[in-house]
Amino acid sequence: MDQLELLKKQWQSREQELPKLTYDDIYKMLLKKSSSIVKWIFYISIAEIIFWTLLAFFVPESSRKFSDDIGLHNILIGVNVVNYSIFGVFIFLFYRNYRKISTTDSIKELMRNILQTRKTVKYFVVYNITACIILIIGINIFYYLNQDIVFKFMIEDYGIASISQEKFMNIFFLIQILFGIVMIVFIILFYRIVYGILMRKLNKNYKELKKIEM
Amino acid sequence: MNKQLEHSFVTQLEENQNIVHKICRLYTNDSDAHNDLFQEITIQLWRAYPKFRGDSKFSTWMYRVALNTAITLYRKSKRSIKTQDYEGVSFKISSVPYDDTAEQQLKLMYSAVKDLNDIDKALVFLYLEDKNYREISETLGITEVNARVKMNRIKEKLRTIINP
Repeated sequence: MDQLELLKKQWQSREQELPKLTYDDIYKMLLKKSSSIVKWIFYISIAEIIFWTLLAFFVPESSRKFSDDIGLHNILIGVNVVNYSIFGVFIFLFYRNYRKISTTDSIKELMRNILQTRKTVKYFVVYNITACIILIIGINIFYYLNQDIVFKFMIEDYGIASISQEKFMNIFFLIQILFGIVMIVFIILFYRIVYGILMRKLNKNYKELKKIEM
Repeated sequence: MNKQLEHSFVTQLEENQNIVHKICRLYTNDSDAHNDLFQEITIQLWRAYPKFRGDSKFSTWMYRVALNTAITLYRKSKRSIKTQDYEGVSFKISSVPYDDTAEQQLKLMYSAVKDLNDIDKALVFLYLEDKNYREISETLGITEVNARVKMNRIKEKLRTIINP
């Protein structure tokens, strides 16, 4: 007979070898915390929203005054309104996805829902990075076009000592560009690592299931 | 928390715990990991329990949630170093007259099953549990035809591992 058939025959008769938990053992488990992947995706996405929100509070007062002085005040308020509206939409989507995930679905359906959730997170990340890049580029274009004012208020607000305007602007833009690049690379790396670890097994298994259907 | 709901859940899980143990044994390599996965499955079952309406058998519903957890939600299984699994080695044939080669072959078959990927393992598990292809396809979310084709391929694969 085929070995798999033999194994099947033995399979049920092995049950007495299995561990036996008591009612109390199982009852105690109900009180323990889950460590499921869904929970982590949800927590991390909430942490991300908090992170981006907190970041806004860490803009120093001098920098805020500087923005006001050079006439960016209204523009920045506009940017913030748009930004937080989009955040609101994302929070709603995260919550909806989280609720939709139900372990009673078929394995494939469950994976699809989790990957959908992941996709929302991905869009959130892409939005944040894109918004970051656009803002950095936009502001720098503004600085570039208004070099005289920028230089004037830089000296007033930050008390930068005597240095020629041309030299100052060169250093200024160099720092802006470097800082922007470092920031973006850091964010991309962070997401790659966090979600890479979290999603590796799920992605592999989902591909395996898709393969069956081809 | 609803005491009555808790009581009926724990009682039913206690009665059907073998299903969960068998999945844990197949998907983990040591008793720590076994207990860890058992606990995670219990938590997921309990969480999904309010939605269990009893239109299917408790055990049928359990297969689905437990495998969901082992394959999709649980992350720790790959972390432990892969060692020769004690349960697999000590696998015994109880009813067939003692035959060294037959036992050897069964051990081999069991460890070959354990070495399959998560999805193939789930198919074989449901097959060993004597589930029909409709139930297998519903649990995994693939069509019945695909489940059948896939199962035949796995059987073929296992056969070549055992008899190279």
